[in-house]
Amino acid sequence: MKSDTMSFATIGRFWFPVLALVIPLAIIVVVTGQFGGLSIQRTVVEMLISIVIVVGLYVFVGNSGIISFGHATFMAIAAYASAWQTCCEMLKPITMSGLPPFLRDQSIPLLPSAVVSVLLAGGAAFLTGLVIMRLTGLAASISTLAVLFILNVVYSNWDSVTMGSASIVGLPTYVTAWLALGCAVFAIVIAYLYQTSAFGLAIRATREDEVAAAASGISLYWSRLIAFTLSGFMVGLGGVLQAHYLGTVSINSFFLSFTFLALAMLIVGGMGSLAGAVVGVVVITAMVDIFRRLEGGISIGAEQWSLPAGTQELIIAAFMLLILVFRKDGIMAGREMTLPEQEQREKGLING
Amino acid sequence: MANIVQVLVDAIALGSLYALVALAIGLVFGVMRLVNFAQADYITIGAYALVVPTASVTPPLLLGALPSALMIGGVLVVVMALALLTERVAFRPLRNSNPSTLLISSFAVSYFLQNLVMLIHTGRPKSVGIGQGLANAVEIGGVRVPGIQLLTMVVTAGLLVALVLFLKKTPIGIQMRAAAENFQMARLLGMPANRVIALAFAISGLLGGAVSLLLTIQTGTLDLRMGLMPVVYAFFATVIGGMGSLPGAALGGFLVGVASVLLQTYLPADLRPFRDAGVFMMVILILLVRPQGLIVTSAAKERV
Amino acid sequence: MSRPSKERLEARGVAVAFGGIRALSGVDLELRRGEVLGLIGPNGAGKTTMVNVLSGFQRPTSGSISLDGTDVSKLTARKIAQAGVGRSFQAARLFRAMTVEQNLSVAAIGSGLSRRVARERALEILDWMGLVKKADHRCDSLSYGDERRVSIARALALQPSFALLDEPASGMNDAECEALMEVIAELPARFGCGVLLIEHNMKVIMGVCQRIHVLDGGQSLAEGSPQDIQKNPAVRRAYLGEKATDSTLAI
Repeated sequence: MKSDTMSFATIGRFWFPVLALVIPLAIIVVVTGQFGGLSIQRTVVEMLISIVIVVGLYVFVGNSGIISFGHATFMAIAAYASAWQTCCEMLKPITMSGLPPFLRDQSIPLLPSAVVSVLLAGGAAFLTGLVIMRLTGLAASISTLAVLFILNVVYSNWDSVTMGSASIVGLPTYVTAWLALGCAVFAIVIAYLYQTSAFGLAIRATREDEVAAAASGISLYWSRLIAFTLSGFMVGLGGVLQAHYLGTVSINSFFLSFTFLALAMLIVGGMGSLAGAVVGVVVITAMVDIFRRLEGGISIGAEQWSLPAGTQELIIAAFMLLILVFRKDGIMAGREMTLPEQEQREKGLING
Repeated sequence: MANIVQVLVDAIALGSLYALVALAIGLVFGVMRLVNFAQADYITIGAYALVVPTASVTPPLLLGALPSALMIGGVLVVVMALALLTERVAFRPLRNSNPSTLLISSFAVSYFLQNLVMLIHTGRPKSVGIGQGLANAVEIGGVRVPGIQLLTMVVTAGLLVALVLFLKKTPIGIQMRAAAENFQMARLLGMPANRVIALAFAISGLLGGAVSLLLTIQTGTLDLRMGLMPVVYAFFATVIGGMGSLPGAALGGFLVGVASVLLQTYLPADLRPFRDAGVFMMVILILLVRPQGLIVTSAAKERV
Repeated sequence: MSRPSKERLEARGVAVAFGGIRALSGVDLELRRGEVLGLIGPNGAGKTTMVNVLSGFQRPTSGSISLDGTDVSKLTARKIAQAGVGRSFQAARLFRAMTVEQNLSVAAIGSGLSRRVARERALEILDWMGLVKKADHRCDSLSYGDERRVSIARALALQPSFALLDEPASGMNDAECEALMEVIAELPARFGCGVLLIEHNMKVIMGVCQRIHVLDGGQSLAEGSPQDIQKNPAVRRAYLGEKATDSTLAI
């Protein structure tokens, strides 16, 4: 074991799972930027933002094995916070009269506002986690649902600050494909560093076997709380990106349908690995896009043909169920992208 | 004074309705460790079975056009069949999965069913008039109680008693309770899994059907998400009652229902819209004090 | 090597009842650093329950546990592990989707080491146990014997003052078992820890242990050197009477 100097091969092997995800994404951005139509480019940006969100979700759900229905909450918190800081300076005093004066009467520059919003999301996740991470896995899952509902009820009715269930329109739209790619890469790197760190190892151990983890001196509560908080920060970043890509924020887009789609991405790809999270986003985004186009109608010769609206949701749900039944660990089955040699080593076909 | 009685009636009516839903959730959880989101859609689809699928907001009646007894029977059969179908198609192949996988699969089933209803009936809320005579208030001891409240209380009380008798007196009911108490042990002792699980789903369908009728008569509207709130309340009820405990589920359901009515009544008017948030916050606070729920069963613990 | 007398894991008057069943009643047991103490008894004698109590997984109904003179009866399993009591399980309970090295590193991290130092410690132990070639294997690809050895290695990676090994050799063949016992015999000298060993194979336990504690029906039946225990008529009646001969292999 040469611990003082890491060779290039060691570094390369360590980072391979990340590069194997990031390079194809970059290629997609370059190719669609050059040759793709506008609608494809939109889909690509949405996919990259989804990667930020789903990788953020994965940091908690994948590593801890606990399903969370509550992460849309932290996205919403960040998205609204960013809207309050940057949106529609002229209209704010009227439409969101309940905001404190320092927000109501001025706009805050984009970068600091984004940072503050993300911090707020992470802080909210930390506070929520303080309470919920004490519970057993299933009770914790259901409590995250309570969190989602609490936020939805509050933001839907807090008219003077959130404009109720109406959309806040007119956020600056600064998110480009390259920024989205940068954030996706950032999320992937953070998630990878986390899962290979001491904290990541600890929480993965609790996922595999809570009892053996306790016998190994691992705190279930703290390791889950750390994951939950980090993942809150990350989906918060996703929320900010989404808000400033679409230019609008609406509480209904952070509720059950969204939660379903994000979880479907994670489950289809396989929640046990970072590669699973990313692959799931790509696969589901592609499916949603294809069926959305079919619902919109295509011409076959002279015939105009379209699927009834809502088919896409049915197919995604059915696809997710099929994955759960026939390949319950998802497409990637809990594995990272590895060099063939590395995979054989893990299976025990190569020694040393 | 009459006002307080009125509030109590409301509280008990809603509490027992939630207790029913919570029992449906609790029964299925007991026999296969599945927290069933699709229970919401059992309720919704039962209600939609009353009308002909059209895009209209005042659709013609389907099952709703039948005489009361047939209508009730029809809705119950539809929902029970649906519950059994979901069990057979989606949940049986996953029977040996961990609870997280089951939970997520029920989320997917629910999403599927909800969108199926939307595809067939469109997403617009609809109005439907059944059991309108029940809207009239009945005067009992100086208090005017809406007929539907009375009906809800009678029906839920009747179903609760029937369910308790079933669980305590029949062999298969006893097996079901045993499974809820100690799942592994019941499996080892040769619980006939297929039959017990199917029966639990059938009962959850029956209870779901009853709830959809009561809700439809109460509100006169159909909505894609009409089953959602009762089921979400029921989820929290089973958690604060103690996962795996049937008395806990009933108790929890009752508590959240009562809390909801009390908040609705006594919160200042401008805070009333936040009622649900208040109840859910309470749920989390109760869990903070009693993480295992009010009634702890072996389902909550793992033996080394 | 002489050690201060407080360096021990002690159970005083430990009783455990599951509903109406008394799994342990009034057991005193003392494990000293630097020794291998055998814990034997017929099936259902309460051996595993005793290990669960000592490692904090089972709260005793009455009685107390102390570690190096401090009462730890109220601590959680995790805190007791961090205080230096490592254990293995009858079923290996490895983190199956993780590599061998990661399994050990988790315990090393649990004892307070950083990721890098944890890895070094893990590889050191694996090297010593002849498992270093399998460091990068996922645990769901291991052979049965390796699984069991990794589970012991993981208990050691916690840097325990006391290691509680619950039937570490169960299901192993004679050769594997013998090799494992050589490893176990070396533990006190190598890691300075005390070892509590539950084992059915009498020949093995007589060879490895300095002292033996016999449980029967949840009560202490005898304690002493292997020679004393072998001669003890009560032990022969209770324990060996159930088995055909004193060299019977478990399972």
